[in-house]
Amino acid sequence: MSTTEAPPNGKYAMGKSMKRKEDARFIAGKGRYIDDIVLPGMLYLAIVHSPYPHARILKVNKDAALAIPGVLAVITADDLAGVGLAWIPTFHGYDKQMVLAVGKVLYQYQEVAAVIATSRPAAADGVEAVDVEYEPLTPVVSPFDAKTDKTLVREDRENKTNHIYHWEVGKQAETDAALAASDVSINERVYFQRCHPAPLEPCGSVADMNAATGTLTLYMTSQAPHAHRTVVSLVTGIPEDKIHVISPDIGGGFGNKVPVYAGYVCSAVASIVTGHPVKWIETRTENLTTTGFARDYHMDVQIGATKEGNITALKVSTTADHGAFDAAADPTKYPAGLFGICTGSYDFPIAFTQLDAYFTNKAPGGVAYRCSFRVTEASYAIERGMEMLARRLGQDPADLRLRNFVKKEQFPYASPLGFVYDSGDYHTTFQKALDKIGYRELRKEQAERRARGELMGIGISTFTEVVGAGPSKHFDIMGIKMFDSAEIRIHPTGSGIVRTGTKSQGQGHETTWAQIVAEELGLDPQNLLVEEGDTDTAPYGLGTYASRSTPVAGAALAMAARRVREKARNIAAHVLEAPLGDVEWTDYKFQVKGVPEKSVTMKEIAFAAYTNPGPNEPGLEATYYYDPPNLTFPYGAYIAVVDIDKLTGETKVRRFLAIDDCGTVINPMIVEGQIHGGLTEGFAIAFMQEIAYDENGNNLQPNFTEYLIPTSLETPSWETDSTCNPSPHHPIGAKGVGESPNVGSPAAFVNAVMDALAPLGITNMDMPMTRDKVWRAIQGASK
Amino acid sequence: MEMQWEGKEEVAASKERLWAFINDPASVANCMPDLVEAIVQDGSHVEATVKVGLGPVKGNFKLKIELLPEAGGSHMSMRISGGGLGSVVDLVAGADITDNGNATTTLDWSGSAEMRGQIANMAGRVIDSQARRVINTTFANVKAKCGSQSA
Repeated sequence: MSTTEAPPNGKYAMGKSMKRKEDARFIAGKGRYIDDIVLPGMLYLAIVHSPYPHARILKVNKDAALAIPGVLAVITADDLAGVGLAWIPTFHGYDKQMVLAVGKVLYQYQEVAAVIATSRPAAADGVEAVDVEYEPLTPVVSPFDAKTDKTLVREDRENKTNHIYHWEVGKQAETDAALAASDVSINERVYFQRCHPAPLEPCGSVADMNAATGTLTLYMTSQAPHAHRTVVSLVTGIPEDKIHVISPDIGGGFGNKVPVYAGYVCSAVASIVTGHPVKWIETRTENLTTTGFARDYHMDVQIGATKEGNITALKVSTTADHGAFDAAADPTKYPAGLFGICTGSYDFPIAFTQLDAYFTNKAPGGVAYRCSFRVTEASYAIERGMEMLARRLGQDPADLRLRNFVKKEQFPYASPLGFVYDSGDYHTTFQKALDKIGYRELRKEQAERRARGELMGIGISTFTEVVGAGPSKHFDIMGIKMFDSAEIRIHPTGSGIVRTGTKSQGQGHETTWAQIVAEELGLDPQNLLVEEGDTDTAPYGLGTYASRSTPVAGAALAMAARRVREKARNIAAHVLEAPLGDVEWTDYKFQVKGVPEKSVTMKEIAFAAYTNPGPNEPGLEATYYYDPPNLTFPYGAYIAVVDIDKLTGETKVRRFLAIDDCGTVINPMIVEGQIHGGLTEGFAIAFMQEIAYDENGNNLQPNFTEYLIPTSLETPSWETDSTCNPSPHHPIGAKGVGESPNVGSPAAFVNAVMDALAPLGITNMDMPMTRDKVWRAIQGASK
Repeated sequence: MEMQWEGKEEVAASKERLWAFINDPASVANCMPDLVEAIVQDGSHVEATVKVGLGPVKGNFKLKIELLPEAGGSHMSMRISGGGLGSVVDLVAGADITDNGNATTTLDWSGSAEMRGQIANMAGRVIDSQARRVINTTFANVKAKCGSQSA
């Protein structure tokens, strides 16, 4: 099945750049987001945050707040304890987390109290009036300080240490021996800084308890409505049938809207207690300072090689900063998620990776920001490592990669850290990138510019992702397997409704899901309504993140459509008055074998299903739950070209080429849009963004004045192209693409800047590579 | 984040008059710019509410001021702590007081502040200039109020 040719376009929909069906309402301002929801008698909730990163709470004085007109209540952890909700389990259940601070605050901006009021201004005034007395404690700001255990972040835990866990995979002794025996090796620390998904719409909820029916309706900014319903039921004891989660239009998620946050819980409790709907809408600062961050991995990368450049071993040792709770949004069965993909696209004979995670006085998180559970960190480590190895060997980094790629004939490829890569042709994809960007010519130009003292860099990243969470053997959330689901109901007139357990946050599911079903059934995708995000109507699924929607729900859709088609074939046999065995699906219609003029379309069968089904059960619908047999492994070859101004340190990204291979493409326009978005986020991470803390635990980027979002002025012009090696185990060969550009691009940018600065002897620099940081490095190197 | 300032101010008042002035919590609080309210707790403590407008940090800060005079009347220390709007300020200041002998007195002062919360991320860009405005205004008020008493 493996091919590097473009995928065949379907007659109806597959492979076509159909315009996004959802855009009509978004462009017209008709999207319905969480803050658009207004219910009769609705109250408002706002949250009191701690200015201290680590402090005991001596007293919470509510009196002044309660005296403000419109303020009805101030909730603290004591109140939540009364209903058993002072603490809730973290995402993977390895730890517990405070909803509101219990006894002491563990990070700056931690939620301390919630104010319920009749209006939003009154709630805000109430927040200002709540007087909290603190006793400041020494904060633990670095995981390396945390290692000493001089100050304990989590006094509530049985183990009196800041160390959370040690995790390892691979063969340590053999890897160490291979590294020691290597002709050449590198051992460098690379840091993937703490960053934040920063969706343009922050988080929010409207909780509406109906005392008459006993039903709690939760409108939430949720990337995983069913998972959240189950968690709410398990935590509160409310029967799952009495919880209705609705996730309306979402203005971006990128992993940020997977975890459960204090505002969700407090709004639900407030609604249950007051009997009124209660709305909570986050501010930008609350979103950046309290909701799930990403990355914060310090990675020591060791690679061994022969003097010719054949890689011999990889070892990555990571120190992870998890903040105050072990709340990483990681549904895998491995504490460090899928970090084992750190061998990347290369055929390492042996490898070993280990990770130690620590509590610090920082916000908790570790969400999969546009990546599949630590894959971005892993990709960054190996792609930076390969670049440094090439420099150590004195080889061109492109040649080193070509020498060491997993070969096409090795697929399915068993990596030394336990993955089985499904398909790929790394050499062809990379060669396409080299040819398209004119790599060899660029190297000549670079030599000429260097001779003139100019700083020009070329950076490569040839990453392999692992997505499609996921197979039962690797994943679950609180025991629930990570399958996904699809339900298709075809109406008598040949239109239909399609529902899945996923939830689009901008990915374009309303279009691509319709295209998959249309292709399988020969129907018009414009007449297939896609509905997600309502737990009372959608089949159970685990949501959208980690590039899992197309690999899992997309597969479920194709399989459900095939069930519909099989039932339709039975009806077609009745309508065509032919034996079932003689009826075949050919050219998007049923026909009697060898008698093309005797055929019937799916639209005609849809009508027959309700009017003339014959001996068959009436109706035309099907449901499918898909548990993928393996993960999928999209990959890409990215090349960045940069010019750096020696005097100012300003980096200009002159060109950036992304060749992606995500298997079968459903909608090339949407794929291109996903890649543009992901590259822009990768660019921001590489050059602009970091959630940094000062030595006293102050969050230094609590708003968009500090945490910068690239505009069209800063964003480079992207060049994109593709190859196609379909996944052999996916029903339509699709692999997922939403996260590839964010996974692959940071290393390309950093490698390009390091390549530009190499003549100055600068070999390593942490992101973000701000103008100031680059300028200082140049100045330091000049001395 | 921690910030530090220092400077010298000459006040047209005798050392004794200035010393008495800065030992009076109400006098000190009333020299603070944008003061909303000052409640004297005792002879060395006052709680002051001041209006703040620093970028997104807009509203009132509640500050506890403690005067720490040293015996001899030549050195005054002061501790100010408090905040609001998701921000906390802890400030310690000290001043050597020298009689110039011409009915003027010099305050040779220095202070350092630890800031936490929203106010901290604004770093030196905004805070430093605003802090200097507060300092300058405070001393101008001291000169005006104390100096006028001596005149």
